[in-house]
Amino acid sequence: MNNKAKKIGLLRKTSKTFLSISLVLMLFSTIALYFYVRTLLQGEIEEELRSTEARIESSISKQNPIYQLPPMVEVTTVPKIGKEHLKDTLIFDPSQNELEDFRELITYSTINNQNYRITVRTLIVESEDILIAVIITYLIVLLSIFIFLFYFNKSRTQKLWSPFFKNLQQMKLFSLTSEAPISLMESDILEFSELNTEITTLTEKVRSDYKNLKQFTENVSHELQTPLAIIQAKIDTLINGEGLSDLQFEQLSSIQNDIQRLKQLNKRLALLSKIENDQFQNLSACNLNDILKHRIENLSDLYAIDIQLKSEDNVILTMDAYLAEVLCDNLLSNAIKHSTPKTPITVILDKNSLTVINTGAKAILKPELLFQRFYKESEHVKSTGLGLAIVKKICDLYGFHPSYYFENNEHHFEIKLKNA
Amino acid sequence: MKILIVEDEIALLQSISDYLEKDGNVCETASRYTDALYKIDLYEYDLLVLDINLIAGSGLDILQLLKSNKKETGTIIISANNSLDDKLKGLDLGADDYLTKPFHLAELNSRIKAVLRRGKFGGTERIEFNEISIDTRAKTAYIADNAMALTRKEYDLLLFFITNKGRVLSKEIIAEHLWGDHSDMVDNYDFIYVHINNLRKKLTDAGAKYIKTAYGSGYKFIDE
Repeated sequence: MNNKAKKIGLLRKTSKTFLSISLVLMLFSTIALYFYVRTLLQGEIEEELRSTEARIESSISKQNPIYQLPPMVEVTTVPKIGKEHLKDTLIFDPSQNELEDFRELITYSTINNQNYRITVRTLIVESEDILIAVIITYLIVLLSIFIFLFYFNKSRTQKLWSPFFKNLQQMKLFSLTSEAPISLMESDILEFSELNTEITTLTEKVRSDYKNLKQFTENVSHELQTPLAIIQAKIDTLINGEGLSDLQFEQLSSIQNDIQRLKQLNKRLALLSKIENDQFQNLSACNLNDILKHRIENLSDLYAIDIQLKSEDNVILTMDAYLAEVLCDNLLSNAIKHSTPKTPITVILDKNSLTVINTGAKAILKPELLFQRFYKESEHVKSTGLGLAIVKKICDLYGFHPSYYFENNEHHFEIKLKNA
Repeated sequence: MKILIVEDEIALLQSISDYLEKDGNVCETASRYTDALYKIDLYEYDLLVLDINLIAGSGLDILQLLKSNKKETGTIIISANNSLDDKLKGLDLGADDYLTKPFHLAELNSRIKAVLRRGKFGGTERIEFNEISIDTRAKTAYIADNAMALTRKEYDLLLFFITNKGRVLSKEIIAEHLWGDHSDMVDNYDFIYVHINNLRKKLTDAGAKYIKTAYGSGYKFIDE
């Protein structure tokens, strides 16, 4: 369950990767652009300041009146030459009536034996505006490219993987028992085409194995009958022969018993595989009351056992009549076999459920295994171990729900009849 | 009675034939499809025991030919195939009974006699054994003209004993006959003994001591 929660769709996964890579790329390229443009602009400003300063110097050296334009240009005479600086500074600009950010170049130079300090400034608001404009434009262009790429990619991927998704759907619909071949979407992509070939080979193999297995069960149970018939006939002849001892007869009779068990085993395995092969198609309206009455009459005759039927009138089920009989028989014979001797068996039938109740000393140890093939809990009862497995198969076929519970020293086998 | 047995397993064919001949029947055998077709065409039989899974063809075709020749021959199909469809197909084509392999020879014998009783020739609906007589139509047994009070299973048992008189019947053979499709439920034979003992008591009370114990655990219906 935990593992399942972490699963993410292929398309979402690719989109997610694309988005996160785009985001990282965008972030780094924007930062890089910002620093690059800023350096460029600063260089530009510095060059501009230096050129203004050079002009002023040349103007001073030509004995022109000293040009002053505070705060942009200030020239003062100073006693001593200082060091040149270039820095950002905040100065009150009376024209704007506020503090403004300026780039300031202060140089000292000696012209005509007079020491001057020349301060040149320029507003850097403008260059910041340019910087921001560049970055925003960049971001807008980049973002639109990403958005376009994102949707383009998504539809591309969707198209590219569509054979994969369609085939996945087909495989989910794949049924072992159906004969219809799996229809896969062809693709011009090599890997998908290879995948299709592999899937087709695999499904065909699985189907043929499954078929062989079923065939095997059928063949075995069928082909065993004839040799068994020969053995049985020979024993029948033998026990009517001359000079047989009591012990020999006893042993032959015991072989007959074993043949009988083999025969039943065969019959039941064949029945199971027939139900699995869906070979019971003669649906009819089966009156469960009549079937139960008839079966109970027959079994009471044989076993001198008291079987009480408590039923509502006419519970009619749409199912194969033979399987309806097998269902009732197997439930009843299971109850007879495992019931405490000389205690009655109760059968309760109503529109929703069929319950067979027999007494017993203790509950079944592993009720979850009860409906499995060859599960036997008691050693002293000889049975094929297939009776309840057949019950389960019939229930599965018609959507009934079999269950077991132990109450008041009684085993209850309940079948919920869905289509009642 | 004249019986034709069609079965491709020689060993089984021989066993069936031997068993039936002991009752005074005349048995002919055919192990091949063509032999069977030939014999059916040429001769008349009271009864045909027919395996439907033959090597060269289907026994159902033989049955069809038999019925199209309008011969009054009773037919019992013996098949390794337990499918209901095959059974219904066989019975639809006019077979009188259908027996799945493996079966007991005593069971086959009792089915053959039942078919012959129903048939036009041969059998009668009344079976006699000394002072016992059975009216198979009314499903009633009489002993010295007095109707016996038998349960359904006791009646079945008596009929089975008489049709296999003089044969040793083990409890397995009897159980399989009485239980029929439910013989897988036989895990102890106490119930068999109950039915046999009840029948034996009813017969003995009327002076008919024919059910003998054979080899300790088997039975034989015989007048000695």
